Amino acid sequence: MKYVIIGCSAAGVNAVEAIRSKDKKSKITVISDEKKPLYSRCLISYLLAGTIDNNKLWYRPDSFFKENKVDALLGVAAEKIDADKKEIILSNKEKVKFDKLLLATGAAPKMENIPGVATKGVFPLRTLNQTLEIQSALAKVKHVAVLGGGLIGLRAAYALKSRGKEVSVFVRSPQILSQIIDDGAAGIMQRHIEAKGIKIETGKAASKIFGKDSVKSIVLGDNSEYGCELVIIGKGVSPNIKIAKDAGIKTNWGVVSNEFQRTSDDNIFAAGDVCESYDIALEGPSINAIWPVACEQGRTAGLNMLGESQAYDGSLAMNSLEFFGLPVISIGITKPKKDIYKEIIKKDEVKNIYKKIVLRDDVIVGAVFLNSIDSIGIVGTLIKNKVNVSSIKDIILEDYFDYGRIANLIKEAKQGFKEQEFKETIMTL
Amino acid sequence: MKKIYCNIKKCLGCGSCEIACAVEHSKSKKLNKAIEESPLPIKRRKAQFVMQGVAISTGCHHCEEAACVAACMSGAMYKDKKTGETKHDKDKCVGCWMCIMSCPFGVLAREKQEKIVVKCDLCADREVPACVEACPTGALLFGTLKEFEKKLSSIKKG
Repeated sequence: MKYVIIGCSAAGVNAVEAIRSKDKKSKITVISDEKKPLYSRCLISYLLAGTIDNNKLWYRPDSFFKENKVDALLGVAAEKIDADKKEIILSNKEKVKFDKLLLATGAAPKMENIPGVATKGVFPLRTLNQTLEIQSALAKVKHVAVLGGGLIGLRAAYALKSRGKEVSVFVRSPQILSQIIDDGAAGIMQRHIEAKGIKIETGKAASKIFGKDSVKSIVLGDNSEYGCELVIIGKGVSPNIKIAKDAGIKTNWGVVSNEFQRTSDDNIFAAGDVCESYDIALEGPSINAIWPVACEQGRTAGLNMLGESQAYDGSLAMNSLEFFGLPVISIGITKPKKDIYKEIIKKDEVKNIYKKIVLRDDVIVGAVFLNSIDSIGIVGTLIKNKVNVSSIKDIILEDYFDYGRIANLIKEAKQGFKEQEFKETIMTL
Repeated sequence: MKKIYCNIKKCLGCGSCEIACAVEHSKSKKLNKAIEESPLPIKRRKAQFVMQGVAISTGCHHCEEAACVAACMSGAMYKDKKTGETKHDKDKCVGCWMCIMSCPFGVLAREKQEKIVVKCDLCADREVPACVEACPTGALLFGTLKEFEKKLSSIKKG
């Protein structure tokens, strides 16, 4: 059997490990357009901030490929898939044959479609190379404009502020982190970040980037100008589906996969940021382009490529962020739009705590916990297992809420809680 | 694998396991000194109430398919291939709290000064974990699932 994996970040690496856990012999080939791919993408903003040094980026050792007997084709891109011939054509025009293929092609940053976006000094923040380029440009930078108030934009802003730069964030939406948390939590976080010296302007977007040899300023919608020597674009990502689409594999927003991570082609699988599949809270297809999902889907894909029949329960949107000592974690649906959803909110202005759960028919489908995050994993358990929480919903946001409080619900549950560990905890209840 | 099991029928929720855990993970390993340390030592076990009069002592379950390991983006959280234990390498931890977000049992704690996560390490330096030794009712057992089941059935018979 010949296994080929395109992409070597979280999903690709976990797929390799899953395959090798059961099959020590078959050939595994990994194709990555990055020369050194085994760094954690989530850590690059930490590197930019100077919180960690380069040697902490690597979540797998250099020996990973050798230990797992992987033929690693690094620094080359996969350009085309011939699904009938089961063949991949690389950017160096070489061909690679496969029996089972995993598309772990990830996502690429969305760039602003405005004049001047190609000017020197305008960067997205997705790869280690981009991070190093930003770092080497920093000496001449005093003012930074960050376009976008999402996770990457704010992480970049935080990192560059930590490097002593003057940072302004321009956010098109009326709130920061609009894809991740609700306006209640976002407001608290925004005031906190602003108090630490980062300027945030909501409802403002850049219409032009000025600069001949390199960036001089950006122009906003109201024609005001902000002088800066560096622009970071944090407008989210879009999945790298082109190679799959060209090969006739079913794509929508992402590469469509079923619960076995299988695409419309029986021998081709998808996992990670490129993959569109079932979302537990939405009860429909979505892309949750986050590290934990990429790992789990990669692992599931690997096992199914071996011929096993391992179903993935589905993904959930989940994010954990901390800026200047204020943490916030969100899971699932945090900004419900229809009235079939109910919200329970608890605010403590003295302790600067904000907690919210979103319910649909007494089942939790989303949560935001700000500055009191330790018990949110238990809420995640309730979301994943679709537990009716009518008997405990009034205490979920209390400080004393813990695993003990859901033990009875687990015992009574007729579905879910497949993991052995849940059973072990309630054996004596 | 060997880990810590709690017999809910015997657990009083007295918190002896919590104190023993915090002291064991202090610098001095002595209660009278541990309470004066800065930062205060952190417990990795919690005595919790299921309902009035029913308690459970909860800590890391060293899950086979550990969600915290899948979530860890720095490689700090990992499975020990030999023992099955879920281990944490504090030098690799960056305090992103993705493991806290993912832990189904909510048993991971934050060391806020160092900005790292702390968790049950089954008291690597001891033969029997401190919490198990400290439990006044014998509700806690350090052993395999089989050993736990055996102990439960011997209690029933007895």
